[in-house]
Amino acid sequence: MNREIAKRIILYALVVLATLYIVTPYMWVVMISFMQEREATQLHWIPREPTLENYTMYFRVHGDSAEIGAATARQFPRAIANSLIIGSSVMFINLFFGSLAAYALARMNFGGNLALLLFYLGSRSVPGVAIMIPMYLVMRSYGLLDTHIAVILAHVTFTLPFTIWILKGYFQTVPLDLERAARVDGCSRLGALFRIFLPVTTPGMIAVGIFSFISSWGEFFFALLFTSTISSKPVTVVASDFAQEIQIDFTIIAAGGVLVVLLPIILAFIFQRFIIHGIGGAVTG
Amino acid sequence: MAKVVVEHLTKHFGDVVAVDDLTLEIVDREFLTLLGPSGCGKTTTLNIIAGLEDPTNGRVFFDDDDVTNVPPERRDIAMVFQTYALYPHMRVYDNIAFGLRMRRTPADEIERLVGEAAKAMEIDHLLKRKPRELSGGQRQRVALARAIVRNAHVFLLDEPLSNLDAKLRVTMRTELKRLHAELEKTFVYVTHDQAESLIMSDRIVVLNEGKLQQLGTPEEIYNQPANVFIAGFVGSPPMNFFDGQLQNGGGAHWLVKGEGYTCEFTPAPTQRLIANASADLQLGVRPEDIEVLPSESPTAQATVVVREPLGSDLFLTLELEGVTFKARTHPDARMDRGDCVPILFKSTKVHLFDKTTGVTLLEPKQ
Repeated sequence: MNREIAKRIILYALVVLATLYIVTPYMWVVMISFMQEREATQLHWIPREPTLENYTMYFRVHGDSAEIGAATARQFPRAIANSLIIGSSVMFINLFFGSLAAYALARMNFGGNLALLLFYLGSRSVPGVAIMIPMYLVMRSYGLLDTHIAVILAHVTFTLPFTIWILKGYFQTVPLDLERAARVDGCSRLGALFRIFLPVTTPGMIAVGIFSFISSWGEFFFALLFTSTISSKPVTVVASDFAQEIQIDFTIIAAGGVLVVLLPIILAFIFQRFIIHGIGGAVTG
Repeated sequence: MAKVVVEHLTKHFGDVVAVDDLTLEIVDREFLTLLGPSGCGKTTTLNIIAGLEDPTNGRVFFDDDDVTNVPPERRDIAMVFQTYALYPHMRVYDNIAFGLRMRRTPADEIERLVGEAAKAMEIDHLLKRKPRELSGGQRQRVALARAIVRNAHVFLLDEPLSNLDAKLRVTMRTELKRLHAELEKTFVYVTHDQAESLIMSDRIVVLNEGKLQQLGTPEEIYNQPANVFIAGFVGSPPMNFFDGQLQNGGGAHWLVKGEGYTCEFTPAPTQRLIANASADLQLGVRPEDIEVLPSESPTAQATVVVREPLGSDLFLTLELEGVTFKARTHPDARMDRGDCVPILFKSTKVHLFDKTTGVTLLEPKQ
């Protein structure tokens, strides 16, 4: 009995440690974002004179403030729009092609089935740096540099294999009899896919949709590589622009960081039920 | 009218032959059961009839129409699955209505038909629930309602009772039989439960390793099994087998003799049997055809190994020269473990099988 209790205590202690490890830096950023600039370097947690100034700065689009970082901050609304466009496109492409590919891999037995899956997985193990130059050259030759499309394509290359793997596993938990029942009830193969199969797999689809969106939203490397002006720069790249200015105001950067992370966190909270079901769950008839 | 004919049906999955040259004619409005152990090809056959699998070879006819290449949605069939396969995201009402909607039935007509089907299956109070809120028995009824609502001519049932508990299974057997009588449709029923097949079917097809073993009425399958496989598969407890040889005891007097027993055999064997039975054979006797009684000329003396009272019957596990077998007797019989008892095989009820091929040496009903 005591052993059981000890086990539990250790388990919970580890969980708390892991949570602290993940949350602490972020909490620190949140705290700083409400501080005055001079306070930020004093290394304490609770803001003594809390202010929203760091946030309002991001939305004074036409302001002509000469404060440090203001020029970058003014690009933020546009950058968020860019990130939304890129992220949603990545999500829809993942859902459309990912679900079709995963359905084929889960349901149809064709030659090269396994090889294809392993190829998808293998493609994920190639580090981005290794394909950076070829990808840049390809984008340049097609005139796609500094466009949303370039970033979208790059993000799809690393999110789609993951989507296919997760969805394939999820689709395989859907009883084959469901589609067969639909066929007998009068659906064509495609009809059964759209009327029965996809609705039944909504949790899995939402989970991979959110994952691909968040992956795209937080991606920095390819976005930095392919974008150069605010017409296509996503938030991650714009946020890094603070570091290029002569003097850095940590409180503004912190507020920017909070704004960037806010959307994925909200999405994760709203859809957490689906994300947990989609990744670990199964469909029963 | 819906007669179903399969001709020379063969299905390969890679190197595995699931169905091997199966030819069958299922008569209009018949209750036909495909019976066999797991992997015998019965579900594959059903799926091919449904159009859910393509045969490697062979053809399927509904009445005189060749439907081999017709997709399932355009065959006039209804199907009940082992897992029920209710659409989890739809309410019971929509589950039942789905097939009608796919066939563009007018809304008021759908409402009437769903109401009728739900009433027939006694689930009209569950129409607003989702499948996950139902018990196993209720799901089964929804699956049946979904099948009957479309008024298809052929009903295909794939082990529909195997996920139910024993008590419910008995109730649903009766229900299905009643349904068949009321609907007057062709039922093709798949099961591995021999008792279920005997109780429910007009005719039974016994399959093993993809091959047709025997096709006949339940009585024919039970009383005249075509081979050792069927004899051992149908009946519970299964038939007992003993090695032996056919011998002439003088004139019209024939005997089967084996180690420790001598069994009379009547009526006199046919010429065919005599010609074939010179070699070793297997004697098959069902537990109820072994009498455990003092008699003038017992077949053998056997030792009681286990006594299993079952209320209405008493089953004895007996041993004879190292062979154990079961006999059914009266529950009042007072034998117990260790007793040596006289046994008598009913001479008109014994079965003879070729020792090597397992085929019956009597006249089988094919």
